[in-house]
Amino acid sequence: MAFDANRLREQFPILKLEANDHPLVYLDNAATTQKPQAVLDALIAYYTTSNANVHRGAHYLSDRATTQFEQARDRVAHFINAEQADHVIWTKGTTESINLVAYGLEWCLKPDDEILITSLEHHANLVPWQQLAFRTGARLRVLPLTSKGEWEPEYERYFNEHTRIFACTQISNAIGVKTPIKEMLAAAKAVNAFTLVDGAQAVAHYPIDVQDLDCDFYVFSGHKMYGPTGIGVLYGKPHALEVLTPVQTGGEMVRHVTYNSTEFNVLPYRLEAGTPHIEGVIGLAAACDFLTSQDREEMVQWEQRLARYVYDELKFNTAIEIYSPASDTTVVSLSVPGIHTMDLNGYLDSQGVAVRAGSHCAHPLMAQLGVSSTLRASFACYNTLSEARRFCDVLLEAIEILGDD
Amino acid sequence: MTDLNCDAIQARLQACTSKEATFKELVSLSKQLKRLTDADKIEENKVKGCESAVWLVEHQNNGLCTFQADSDAKLMRGVLMVILSLVNGHSKAELQQRDLIAELSEFNLSSYLTSSRTNGVLGILKQIQANDPSNL
Ligand SMILES: Cc1ncc(COP(=O)(O)O)c(C=O)c1O
Repeated sequence: MAFDANRLREQFPILKLEANDHPLVYLDNAATTQKPQAVLDALIAYYTTSNANVHRGAHYLSDRATTQFEQARDRVAHFINAEQADHVIWTKGTTESINLVAYGLEWCLKPDDEILITSLEHHANLVPWQQLAFRTGARLRVLPLTSKGEWEPEYERYFNEHTRIFACTQISNAIGVKTPIKEMLAAAKAVNAFTLVDGAQAVAHYPIDVQDLDCDFYVFSGHKMYGPTGIGVLYGKPHALEVLTPVQTGGEMVRHVTYNSTEFNVLPYRLEAGTPHIEGVIGLAAACDFLTSQDREEMVQWEQRLARYVYDELKFNTAIEIYSPASDTTVVSLSVPGIHTMDLNGYLDSQGVAVRAGSHCAHPLMAQLGVSSTLRASFACYNTLSEARRFCDVLLEAIEILGDD
Repeated sequence: MTDLNCDAIQARLQACTSKEATFKELVSLSKQLKRLTDADKIEENKVKGCESAVWLVEHQNNGLCTFQADSDAKLMRGVLMVILSLVNGHSKAELQQRDLIAELSEFNLSSYLTSSRTNGVLGILKQIQANDPSNL
């Protein structure tokens, strides 16, 4: 059966809204996705039938909450094909996950060591490493990927005996290009570096297999994959999680405490201090179920087809510069030289079309592209061809209205 | 820049009943803004924290302030027209007494002002009320 976005969107109540007197056209999915009814139901069900703190008092509700909470860990582990549920650590999102690693590995860095990232990173996968470098005297190095995500054999030299950590995004949030992640991970492993993959922009679109990727850490946010905000994941291989110094300490992550010493709990609890975001965890598992119940292959092909439609509609327009690749992406990032992206965005918004104008938390990448900001339309499974068409039409109207002087 | 009529601008913006109408009105207002020369569009005159670049220049004459401002975004230039119509020709002491945010909110621009944390409107107002060291 062919993928039917119109039917799927029925599961997303918010998409029926109007925005500024027009039907809402939501194309800001790379920032955050909307949530299907199943996720909303899971949150309500948790609070109406199971709310209690987890791993604590042995009573009826606490048992229910704890069971659901740990089952969610199994489901999320399964979703990314982790070896074991214990390898999944709950965080509040990609940013926190990366920070847990950047602080947790501080002990192993010394001056002259190198931390390697690429030129396509979100600030979340740049600033924590830069600050780690400042704290330890290590060097932050940047592997220059082109905006097409190209990998040159000469880049091998960036991976050397000094490289301690390699952190890279799987897909650029700003322009939607895939990075040559497997080649880079292989090069990083060859020099025994810790490896971290930022999967924030990948999880909603592509099936993730952390064992196949074979990275030490894989991080993502629930809210970008149809789940709730405030919940995310730090996956790690056992040896990698074991060596992380816990950044936060307190309740839940300990086994025995005296005034003079603390014995930490085992993984995953050792890295999860305090009461967790229980309903977020349960909502995230529901989002995983939502995704796995779809035909993932058809779904991403649909999303790519929408991006391709926009690309093809606009590519010959001499007023427009497109920074995203022509294919194999779910994003179209563009600018109109001479017209500020905030102005384009203002008109699109007045017509109910939600996109993102800005630097997409990637200032160095914007500098590489030679712009201060871009306008980004990013597609999700519930978007339709008529929405893609509407984006193009309204963008062209905006250019007409704004381009007269 | 003496013909900025704050009441007329307010009336035009208040007549807008849709976001589209407000958008078009701001674009039309933006065309009346006297642009700054490149000599004035320098780093020192830039207002920090704006998503689009905004430059603000202050002159004082007989104790009254005249501001000139510019931006690389049209909507922002429209908003700057509104702001300048409110503040030009008044003394610094008076500007410091006034609640400019409240006055701006009378212009039916709420959706442009709710994002003021990011678009920098707050920073512009603050700078207008601040004592300009070059005029002390
Ligand atoms: C590639 C990438 N990494 C990291 C992040 C940060 O995610 P969060 O804000 O959910 O922590 C984002 C979010 O935009 C992203 O797109």
